[in-house]
Amino acid sequence: MNHCNRFRPAPINRRELLQRFGSGFGLTALTALMHDSAYGALALEDSKSEAKGGMPNHGLHHPAKATSVIFLYMDGGPSQVDTFDPKPMLDKYNGKDPGEFFKVEATQFNNNGKVLASPWKFNPYGECGLQVSDLFPNVATCADDLCLVRSMVSEFPEHTFANYFLHTGSGLQGRPSMGAWINYGLGSVNQNLPGFVVVNGGLIPPGGLDCFGSGFLPASYQGSVFKPKGTAVANVQPLEKTVERQRSKLSLVNELDQLASDQFGTSDNIESAIRNYELASQMQTAIPELMAFGDETQATQTMYGFDAAYEPTRTFAAECLMARRLVERGVRFIELTCPSVSGDRWDQHSNLKEGHENNAKAVDQPIAALLKDLKQRGLLETTLVVWAGEFGRTPFAQGANGRDHNPFGFTVWLAGGGAKGGTVYGQTDEFGYKAIEDRTEMHDLHATMLHLLGVDHTRSTFRFGGRDMRLTDVKGHVVHKIIA
Amino acid sequence: MICSVTLSLTCSAVHGQEETAQGQLQATSKQLEFFEKEVRPILVEHCYECHSGKSKKLQAGLRVDSRKAILKGGDSGPALIASKPDESSIIQAVRYDGFEMPPKGKLPAKEIDILTKWVAMGAPWPAEQPADEGSDREAFDLQKRKEGHWVWQSIQNPTRPNIVGSDWPKSDIDFFVLSSLEKAGLKPTEQSDKYALVRRLYLDIIGLPPTPEQVQQFVSNPNTMGTEQLVDQLLASPHFGERWGRHWLDLVRFAESRGHEFDNDAPYAYQYRDYVIRALNEDVPYDQFVREHLAGDLLKSPRLNAVEHFNESILGTGFWHLGEWVHSPVDIRKDESDRFDNMIDVMSKTFLGVTVSCARCHDHKFDAISTEDYYSLAGFLQSSDYREVAFDAIERNREIGTQLAELDKSYRDKIEVLLAKAAPGAVQAMNLASREAIVANVSSLGDNVIVDYANSEPSQFFVDGEIFGKRSRHAGGISLAMSDGKAKLDFVRTSTAASDLFWNSFKKQEANSPNQMSSIGKLPRSGRTLRSPTFTLRDGKVDCRIQGQGHVVACVDSHRLLAGPLHGETVRGIPKADGFQWVTLNLGRYVGHRLHLEFTPDVDTLMEVQIVTQGASPEQLKAIEATQAKVAIQIAEAAKRVDLELQKDKDAAEKVTAIVESWSKARLELQQQIKTTSRVAMSMMDGTGEDEHVLIRGNSSNPGRSVARRFLAAVDGQEPLAIEHGSGRLELAERINSVTNPLASRVIVNRIWHHLMGRGIVPTTDDFGVLGQRPSHPELLDHLATKFLSDGRSIKKMIRYVVLSKTYQLGSRPDAISTQLDPKNQFLHYHPAKRLEGEAIRDTLLAISGRLDSTLYGPSIKVYLSSFMDGRGRPGQNGPLDGSNRRSIYLEVRRNFLSPMFVAFDTPTPFSSMGRRNVSNVPAQALILMNDPLVAELAKAWALRACSTVPLNEGQSPDARIRWMVMTAFAREANEPELAAARAFLDKHGQEFGLTIRDEALWEDFAHALVNKKEFVFQR
Repeated sequence: MNHCNRFRPAPINRRELLQRFGSGFGLTALTALMHDSAYGALALEDSKSEAKGGMPNHGLHHPAKATSVIFLYMDGGPSQVDTFDPKPMLDKYNGKDPGEFFKVEATQFNNNGKVLASPWKFNPYGECGLQVSDLFPNVATCADDLCLVRSMVSEFPEHTFANYFLHTGSGLQGRPSMGAWINYGLGSVNQNLPGFVVVNGGLIPPGGLDCFGSGFLPASYQGSVFKPKGTAVANVQPLEKTVERQRSKLSLVNELDQLASDQFGTSDNIESAIRNYELASQMQTAIPELMAFGDETQATQTMYGFDAAYEPTRTFAAECLMARRLVERGVRFIELTCPSVSGDRWDQHSNLKEGHENNAKAVDQPIAALLKDLKQRGLLETTLVVWAGEFGRTPFAQGANGRDHNPFGFTVWLAGGGAKGGTVYGQTDEFGYKAIEDRTEMHDLHATMLHLLGVDHTRSTFRFGGRDMRLTDVKGHVVHKIIA
Repeated sequence: MICSVTLSLTCSAVHGQEETAQGQLQATSKQLEFFEKEVRPILVEHCYECHSGKSKKLQAGLRVDSRKAILKGGDSGPALIASKPDESSIIQAVRYDGFEMPPKGKLPAKEIDILTKWVAMGAPWPAEQPADEGSDREAFDLQKRKEGHWVWQSIQNPTRPNIVGSDWPKSDIDFFVLSSLEKAGLKPTEQSDKYALVRRLYLDIIGLPPTPEQVQQFVSNPNTMGTEQLVDQLLASPHFGERWGRHWLDLVRFAESRGHEFDNDAPYAYQYRDYVIRALNEDVPYDQFVREHLAGDLLKSPRLNAVEHFNESILGTGFWHLGEWVHSPVDIRKDESDRFDNMIDVMSKTFLGVTVSCARCHDHKFDAISTEDYYSLAGFLQSSDYREVAFDAIERNREIGTQLAELDKSYRDKIEVLLAKAAPGAVQAMNLASREAIVANVSSLGDNVIVDYANSEPSQFFVDGEIFGKRSRHAGGISLAMSDGKAKLDFVRTSTAASDLFWNSFKKQEANSPNQMSSIGKLPRSGRTLRSPTFTLRDGKVDCRIQGQGHVVACVDSHRLLAGPLHGETVRGIPKADGFQWVTLNLGRYVGHRLHLEFTPDVDTLMEVQIVTQGASPEQLKAIEATQAKVAIQIAEAAKRVDLELQKDKDAAEKVTAIVESWSKARLELQQQIKTTSRVAMSMMDGTGEDEHVLIRGNSSNPGRSVARRFLAAVDGQEPLAIEHGSGRLELAERINSVTNPLASRVIVNRIWHHLMGRGIVPTTDDFGVLGQRPSHPELLDHLATKFLSDGRSIKKMIRYVVLSKTYQLGSRPDAISTQLDPKNQFLHYHPAKRLEGEAIRDTLLAISGRLDSTLYGPSIKVYLSSFMDGRGRPGQNGPLDGSNRRSIYLEVRRNFLSPMFVAFDTPTPFSSMGRRNVSNVPAQALILMNDPLVAELAKAWALRACSTVPLNEGQSPDARIRWMVMTAFAREANEPELAAARAFLDKHGQEFGLTIRDEALWEDFAHALVNKKEFVFQR
């Protein structure tokens, strides 16, 4: 019987590992860990202890509905009441003092104005009649695939805290990102690409690259930042003028490594490092293949928005297409960051109308194309697409025409990968300020995402600093109602 | 049981109504029916899941399945106050006012009304068996936990095991190791060869590879003491501190920026880094090193730098402040408690190897560490403060300040004696006025006074630097005035804390760092700041009576990164004005918070602070002004009388004039000795000594009882620490250093072992607790700890002791049988090969390429930003690709822009103590060595160096050059098969790409290949 992984696994050698887990990124990371004997759980005499030592690549805890995640990160916090959560009360009481209707919580800018009606109209879409604003005319056509969670809450009204929280389940720097956790748990399918790819459209989230870090997990699980054009990733382009010249050097390296093994002995660490070079070489070819967007039909490119007039739309189109191509190649977790539009990310402290319009224009068509493309290729079923900002925005104005940060109630949506399409879960109050029904916390979202991937969030742990750490800390409930 | 009457009984009893045995008003049957029909179902449906005896996990310690339980409440106190719905937290919670319950969504208004009505009627509940007590958590038993875990037991001095029939052991270490090997039926593998050993020693001790000459010298040295000599020489190298300093920086989450959104500078962090390197090089005893970290600012005789004489000790305290900082937090108190949490986390892991931070929200789940332990440590931080200390000047100027105070006193005394005789009436008038100044404000203002410098205890006088003197000065006191360049006798008109012109030549040396956003980061505060006592804000209006121009900063909850939309009101410029003015801060946002004020005059100006009040009415402020004016007039009149009376006594008058002149001259002479410029560094400063409250469930908006400052109860007991004054950090340091503390010395010797052997005796170097691993060689660990203590806690001696053991010098190739028996090398039958850290790889590349600039210390080289390193706070100025060829420890560490090369090779993210780096294996590592432009550039430089060092003539064999390169890269001779392979490569590769043996490009390719050979990044 498996004692909840509470006991240290029996020694396992490299050959057994190869047989058991195949090979690839997950493997090299795993071998590194296996040989770090300080890692992992020790047999606990104390039977009442709740601790369950973690196992890298522990695999599925239950059958998975999704095998990959595309996380559409909407940087800055899109406004729920202007996108997916219509509130007629805002029209009714537009310009009134919000304090008349509810208690106004402290905000980031402390410059709270009047109740502010949405500048956009909402219309029902799809068979389900989902209400979507005019900011997302294309995404709206996928209404029957969307599962809106209108009762999302965060704990932080500041970007950086909220970003770390959204990405890592903790408001402070240093925790592993969800993409790292998922790869730690499930390993990577693709041998030639990292399991966690961030396609950077231009805006790295506040909090920086550590939003994609591996924290206390080994570096192998950290997000690799790709660009949606050019060479895509650092150090993958050989410096040599020809492939042959690099190959010739590497063959000398191989020969010398072999000689050294014969003479000085070897270790699994060194063998893993040798194997690493094979992976690196494969990656050198895999990346140009990934980036060969020319392989796609003109129709596909047009659908995504490659010939859109607006440059940020073209950037995000490339990101979305790249995401699909990464999913096809078995990459577990893909995050897309927003392209830079004139003005700001979705962070409209002023000029809500112009700012949100530009940000929506950049992403609406590519996202809709991505959903449709995944669907027509039969990939949507196993690809969980998550659209989320770090928080929402206040239903009252900041100054005259902006909205401040609002972590008390906002909308995220899921599509594919086992999420129940065409549904709405939870609701905010009649002003769209706070979640009042089926409040969904960040840890709940994470727990649900892991669940869809076949991972029990309470059992995917890593021991660090005297605790068995989880993506969901000590919290999180799977939201079964949004699972198909 | 039923008779254990609850708190609310007293409350109800006041109303004189009859109580049942359960402490409940006699409920009518109608009320009980209402409860059963309306109330109980709501509780069962919405609350029981988390708040009853049936809860899988009881939340917040609160049960609502009996009246008694609700009244008793949970972590946040009683949940219900009978008949008072508005004051009952259960009602507040369902109204989503403060708490938000149930968390999944607000109850319908009707149900909230029902609960409110029920509480209003006194919370009737039928008499019934108390609900199942099943899920009450097992009580935290510190004693039991302490007894049950090895690390709390005192350090033993085990005797060396007996070994029969083996001459392998050399040092005691070997006896302990061999003894456990033998018990496991294992034997040590063969000793490493001299080539492997010399490279291992160089890399382990100084982090740089030996040169071919150094290798030759060692292997050809016939002296049996050769290894000892080499080790001593390496330990004496200044590069030792760089190597081991980097290990230390991993523990203190060293970084030079604050991370978060804009990655603001952590100014002058490199001064701490240099302090660590110097301290390690000087082999400062570890207890002193600990003391300096905890409380280097509080030492009576701090350690001075041998060359430059600045205060070294105080630089150690910088480690507290190396964490992430946040700008514009909406919840400013939570920001403080998060910062404190990180500081406690790092301090306890680094020095104690236990995870005290796990006890922030609840008693530690596994270890003998209580929540009270956590908050008793938090009190030390609550009592301390951040400053950027002028460390070059602080000691010299402190001494001058003392001399100045003595000098002033002696002259004042002389004058006083003269005046007492010559002008007794005037002196009496002066004394009367002076006394009035002392009592005046107290009576009229009561506790609205935060500090009144006419009437404050010396313990309330906090300064950074000397410009405000050693204490406040009092109205009527004798002073010097300058008129027409001549010193003249004068008397202080108003009691204040006043800066002294004497110090105006003092300036901070370094300019502000470029990415400094904090508005207070730019003020000339170092060594020039007066700090008020810490107080709780009861009224948002704070008035300060000030003369002079400069700034007042309200430091709320120790928050200091003042940038962004919030908290601008905590900084107030003081405009130029004639005489005293009221400076008002509007701090309404912070009522209920703890704060203090800091006053800093502009450069080349003076400042006086008379009094600080909160919530004072305009009338009260007027009254203060009136008293001040009245006292000033009285003093002016008395001064005039002094003049008049002196005129009658020519002799005394002349004497006074002479004394005044010589006083002024003496001051000018002393002034010449001021250290006028100084570098600055982050450090601690003591504030008002105070204890912290337990924050229930770690929630900063939910304070519970206060706990006295002390060290961990499992080591020291529950008694509060005897603290003379201030924060008590120095007393805490002594407890940590105490020989009765079983943690500190075990933790440090284990760290040394870890770095030398690749794995600690306790492999989890930062967690010796229950969830950490047990020591593989407990007796050896205690032996090392004992030896460490008896050897004066010398880190160098401990390193020397370990590396001279045969255990350390074992070969890296295990024998097959032992490998089968002990595949993980738990018993140390061989010394496994170790992958170098990213820093050591880069340093090695620099060393062999001849490009290494071995300059020690100084400001960091700006981080090189590739196009993939983007995000907010990206520095405007890019650093050089080659880091100016300095050792890696001198490259800037920016939290949000970490070096991709180092990160790929597992340099930790600087957020917590990381005594044991991950050793991962990712293709990014291979890709860096294959394709990174810096690696290629340095390989090329190395090739060119090879070409010039070992010239080849036409037709000559390339062997000599190959041998030299193998020797530089791997510190050993090339062997025949390698030479053959290299020759073949040069030949074939040359032909294929049109290069001859005389082309440098061919050698560049060869060099780049050698760098990619695994031996380059592994240490045998």
